[in-house]
Amino acid sequence: MLRGGPAGARNAPSLEQINAEVFTLTYGSIVRQLISDFEDIEEVNKQLEQMGYNMGIRLVDEFLAKAKITRCSSFRDTADVVAKQALPMFLNVSANVANWNPDQTECSLILTDNPLADFVELPEEYRELKYCNVLAGVVRGALEMVNMEVECRWVSDMLKGDDCYELRIKLNEHRDEKFPFKDDD
Amino acid sequence: MKMGITCVAFIGPQNNPMYLRSMDPATDDHYLKLHYIVHCALDAVEEKVLLKRGPSDSQDVYLGLLYPTEDYRVYGYLTNTHVKIILLLDDEAPIKDEAVLRVLRRLHSLYVDTTSNPFHKFGLPITSPRFDAQLEQIVALYPRPGASLGGFTT
Repeated sequence: MLRGGPAGARNAPSLEQINAEVFTLTYGSIVRQLISDFEDIEEVNKQLEQMGYNMGIRLVDEFLAKAKITRCSSFRDTADVVAKQALPMFLNVSANVANWNPDQTECSLILTDNPLADFVELPEEYRELKYCNVLAGVVRGALEMVNMEVECRWVSDMLKGDDCYELRIKLNEHRDEKFPFKDDD
Repeated sequence: MKMGITCVAFIGPQNNPMYLRSMDPATDDHYLKLHYIVHCALDAVEEKVLLKRGPSDSQDVYLGLLYPTEDYRVYGYLTNTHVKIILLLDDEAPIKDEAVLRVLRRLHSLYVDTTSNPFHKFGLPITSPRFDAQLEQIVALYPRPGASLGGFTT
């Protein structure tokens, strides 16, 4: 089984693919190793998010280079692009965007299938573990590189018995482009 | 009512019992007896493995009927990692090898999925509730005595 761009999609770029099970097992080993290194579950959650952040700031360039999309006009567009183009490109799953708040600054990405967590069963002692926290970090890092400061957190997790994975994204600030030099130089 | 499959057991590579489940509600004594039968079955597995050492034999996973005891018939399955799956059948009707093999293959597949869980510890007894539930489903697929064998899909 291979993970890569969805076949036949309009924007399907050609990407190198990796066997899905290798990917899942690798991620599982990373989580296990973090748990045995840090022992505190909250710390592990933070580390996963930080790892995701570091990946996100790099992934966004690759995504923008390969996806050939136009500028997003609003946060709503951005969320759609993440759910319908970025996630399929990198994880071969697509997500739905839902639960917008009246200000249009918060929304949820709903995934029904998550390759990171295939075969995983969370034991009782790791109940606080946010297994897929790396994804929250990736979204935060990627959006920060395009000048949107967001907060991401998981509200539903299938590993804990819910019926889907729901990632809540909240837009805090839309920063203007920062120029590295001042005008009066 | 006599059920088809009475007991399923998974034994690890060092002959350590990883999972033993009786499909009938059983008492402690009954469990002892099942443990004993499964333990004897391991000897039969070793025998069959030794017999197959000849260069002509292929890597066969399905060991077939290991030996019949007074109440049960014992079937074995040996994976390449020396994990043994033992099935005890309580059926007096003639057993179809393919049906047993199908169940064993599915059990093998379930075992592989369970060990792919990053939180699974090798060699220790399998305690996952998902494993229990799916095992019950697989066992339920085996046709009970008297039921028609038509419509059994893999």
